[in-house]
Amino acid sequence: MEGRTIPNSPITDHASPITPVVRVSGFVKRYKKQIAVQGVDLEIKRGEIYGLIGPDGAGKSSLMKAIAGVLSYEGGTVEVFGTTVDSERSAEQIKQKIGFLPQGLGLNLYPDLSVEENIDFFARIRLVPEHELDQRKARFLAMTRLEKFRDRPMKNLSGGMKQKLGLICTLIHEPELAILDEPTTGVDPVSRRDFWTILAEMQQERGMTVLVSTAYLDEAARFHRLSFLSGGKVVAAGTPAEVQALVPGLMVTFEATPQMGAMARLKTGYKQVEALGSLLHVFTEETVPAAAMQSIISSLGDITPVHLRVDEPELEDVFVALLLRQPAQPPPAELPRTMGLLANHGLAIEAKGLIRDFGTFRAVDRVSFQVKSGEIFGLLGANGAGKTTVIKMLNGIMPPTGGEGWVAGADMKTAGGAIKERIGYMSQAFSLYLDLTVVENIRLFAGIYGLDTKATDQRLTWIVSMAGLKGYESNLTGRLPMGVRQRLALGCALVHQPRVLFLDEPTSGVDPIGRRNFWEILSRLAREEGVAILVTTHYMSEAEHCDHLALMFAGRIVAEGSPGEMKRQVEQEAGQLLEVVTDQPGPALRRVAEAGFAGAALFGTKIHLLSLDPPQDEARLRMVLASDGLHIQSVSTRPLSLEDVFVHRVMALERQEQAAAKGAAA
Amino acid sequence: MNIRRVAAVASKEWREVTRDRMFLLLAFCMPAVWMFVFGYGLVLDVEHISFVVVDRDHSSLSRDYLYRFYQSRYFSFQGELAGEGNADAWLQSGKARAVIIVPEQFQERLRSGQPTNVQTLIDGTFPLRADITKGYVIAINNAFNMDLLADHLARTRGLSRDEALRRTRPLGLEVRYLYNEEVRSTWSTVPALIMFSLMVSSPLLTALGVVREKETGSIYNIYSSTATRLEFLVGKLVPYVMISALNVVVLWLMAVLLFAVPFKGSLLLFLVTSILFVLTSTGIGLVVSLLVSTQQAALIITVVVSTVPTILFSGLIVPVSSLSQVSQFQAHLFPGMYYTNIVRGTFLKNVGPAVLWPDVLALVVYATVLGTVGYRLFTKRPRI
Repeated sequence: MEGRTIPNSPITDHASPITPVVRVSGFVKRYKKQIAVQGVDLEIKRGEIYGLIGPDGAGKSSLMKAIAGVLSYEGGTVEVFGTTVDSERSAEQIKQKIGFLPQGLGLNLYPDLSVEENIDFFARIRLVPEHELDQRKARFLAMTRLEKFRDRPMKNLSGGMKQKLGLICTLIHEPELAILDEPTTGVDPVSRRDFWTILAEMQQERGMTVLVSTAYLDEAARFHRLSFLSGGKVVAAGTPAEVQALVPGLMVTFEATPQMGAMARLKTGYKQVEALGSLLHVFTEETVPAAAMQSIISSLGDITPVHLRVDEPELEDVFVALLLRQPAQPPPAELPRTMGLLANHGLAIEAKGLIRDFGTFRAVDRVSFQVKSGEIFGLLGANGAGKTTVIKMLNGIMPPTGGEGWVAGADMKTAGGAIKERIGYMSQAFSLYLDLTVVENIRLFAGIYGLDTKATDQRLTWIVSMAGLKGYESNLTGRLPMGVRQRLALGCALVHQPRVLFLDEPTSGVDPIGRRNFWEILSRLAREEGVAILVTTHYMSEAEHCDHLALMFAGRIVAEGSPGEMKRQVEQEAGQLLEVVTDQPGPALRRVAEAGFAGAALFGTKIHLLSLDPPQDEARLRMVLASDGLHIQSVSTRPLSLEDVFVHRVMALERQEQAAAKGAAA
Repeated sequence: MNIRRVAAVASKEWREVTRDRMFLLLAFCMPAVWMFVFGYGLVLDVEHISFVVVDRDHSSLSRDYLYRFYQSRYFSFQGELAGEGNADAWLQSGKARAVIIVPEQFQERLRSGQPTNVQTLIDGTFPLRADITKGYVIAINNAFNMDLLADHLARTRGLSRDEALRRTRPLGLEVRYLYNEEVRSTWSTVPALIMFSLMVSSPLLTALGVVREKETGSIYNIYSSTATRLEFLVGKLVPYVMISALNVVVLWLMAVLLFAVPFKGSLLLFLVTSILFVLTSTGIGLVVSLLVSTQQAALIITVVVSTVPTILFSGLIVPVSSLSQVSQFQAHLFPGMYYTNIVRGTFLKNVGPAVLWPDVLALVVYATVLGTVGYRLFTKRPRI
């Protein structure tokens, strides 16, 4: 990548500056007989943010651990800072220069130690001098806004805060190479954005090299270069632009009714067809917009698309296209019709002023919403916003402190048992028995819901074909890939043909194709069977699939609407998203921030900011940066993502809260 | 070895242990609670045996006979029954462990020189207690026989009663118990309980502490850091050794003050060997923790390899010398036995290194071997 930054400080290293920081060739890692990584080549240059992208089980963790010198491997070579890491002794030589953050939200931290004690431990074990430790600690705590939680035990932090603390602990000895294994998984969008900002700053300031893995494909654009791993192999590598160029094509977005009919027709000609709420999203290999639209219109036949729009594909679409090129794809799931289930277009879920207190803490504050049959309703919010509590109350698991709710026609206060028969519930940690086979799990759930033998056999066949479990029937659940396990969990939640389905963060750790399959099943359940689906997620690209969204903050619903409406609201309030490409993003960002563009942030090598008046702001940006001799390569507007919406809303609310707290204190 | 890194690990570990309520309980309360519960519960003395009597004779001699039981500290009189029929009920309910039945014409037959039998029913559920009870009954019975004989001699030979008594007991027996002068079982079990409490809590604590890091993944902080294996292990184990050392003091105080067991030997020898034993038991925990990957497994394995053999083979309940040959061999494999010898020796016998050196040497070997194995097993770059 041309825009790669040269580190400001000279590097004292015996290797010459051209030597890559990490060089991996023919890397093989086996766990007993199972091959986790087979023949990966990789080269990371000094000062870049290098991404490893891929689903669970792609081999990212094994590779990163081997590079960090904390895992032995079976084949190939791993060279770090010019040292071949092939024994415990050689691994020790590189460890002072490396910071390693293992996978798992705050799991490597010490829950009973306070924020400060955690940092101190990591610093002392790395022999950071005490006076430097104080300085760095103060700076990091300010950057992460954890300053006021200095004395709080780590176990009482939210998921996002834990992960930021994890990052501080990894970087406290100022390593030259930071290796971060899925640092943003399970972290809410605001904390995730903070996380990337800190990392970008460290990389800009200190010329630190970063190797980071993620299962969130939409984060790929933040990397300077990346490798896309699947099944222990590199599927694609290069800069985001280079990877994008591997799969030429365009995304066509439009509305068409009936949606399911249109989808069926498109599927015959296109591999990537997705329903996002009322929108259809199709990847075409045409590179000319007019031709792309024409080909869609012709394949739809007598169904006329409306609001037709053509965009550059996102990296996620590219990855899915790349994965679909791989041989041995699992067969697409089919949704056989269930007999005698008709959609009734009544209200499936209604919450009216739900309140839940835990002691003096109000976890849920007057929450009201409605979900119709056949609708997918998304409940968004950071960890601890109250999403799970709402679900538990509606399920009749937890009594509300105040308010009312009806689920599938039953009052949640009085008809707990009846509700449980009419709903399906799939929790964050899929509640499957890992030591049972697929079929045994389904039969167990059928037994729990009191299905007779005939009904059980029927549902078993239905679930196996709906969830694409053919061929896995007698496999132990614990050995299934996450995507398959997730579909099995969904199947088990549907065993008694519920009219309402609750999904609590259902897609963590599932590969992109698996996720797309999953969402396709969900939209067909909603559209064809009229099942009402309430789903919580902090996976913003998934929220796009919902018909209706509600954003929760501190127990309240603070924004509501379809994904499109929510984006339009933010565009009206705060403006459009401007993407600025410069040759020196670090200094440019500082200059931009100084010039009063609040909320400007680094997105990979690009600067993102919101602008109410793009032409005027572009002129100002060019002027400001030109005065510092910084060259702008391009300024363009990008469509807002739901993540931008989420971050904008939550940040605004946090500022309000702080202002209110200050007002109260004064 | 960099002392700063060791201190960092040790102070982190200390804070974690003292802030985790479960760990804190396990570390400081459990050994003392064990000592308390078993110290009072594991009393092997058979005293205050509850008994009832059936006196069919109601003569002065039968009362005389039974009176010897009433006043014995080994027996506790519960009441007199009208007939034998009720005796079963008393024994079944456990309200009485023995029934003494004096037959009709007890006095008449004895006075006329004819023999008679006193029937004694003893609850035999627990053989050790039944045997001891029988022994007490026999002893009282013998004494009564002797007195009858002496009375007879005094009457027929015209001797004084004292003279007659002397004649009937020409060979006296003088027993002096050494070390445990009052033959109290607490004196013997309580010192061994110090060993038991340490042997159970210290490996468990260590194993859980180390495996916890493996389970959560925080061990990667160590793997990826520049701390050496030795620095980590020393830092990690120091708090656990300290906790156990503190427990040694607490347990010693409990033994001496609460259970009034005399401490006759050298306190220095006791403390030094106790630290040695703590190192050994901590080493067991370390080795277990390096072989397993979950806290559950650590718990089970530790109980199997340390608690169970300690109860069976350390001499806590049954002396090692009374075990079968196979069991004796097994006993020598576990460190508990050696430390038990040392504790009992220093508490009761006032013996020093001259006698105890083989036991001390055994502990040194154990501590060294376990430490070395632990160090060898620990790798900062594992295969999985």
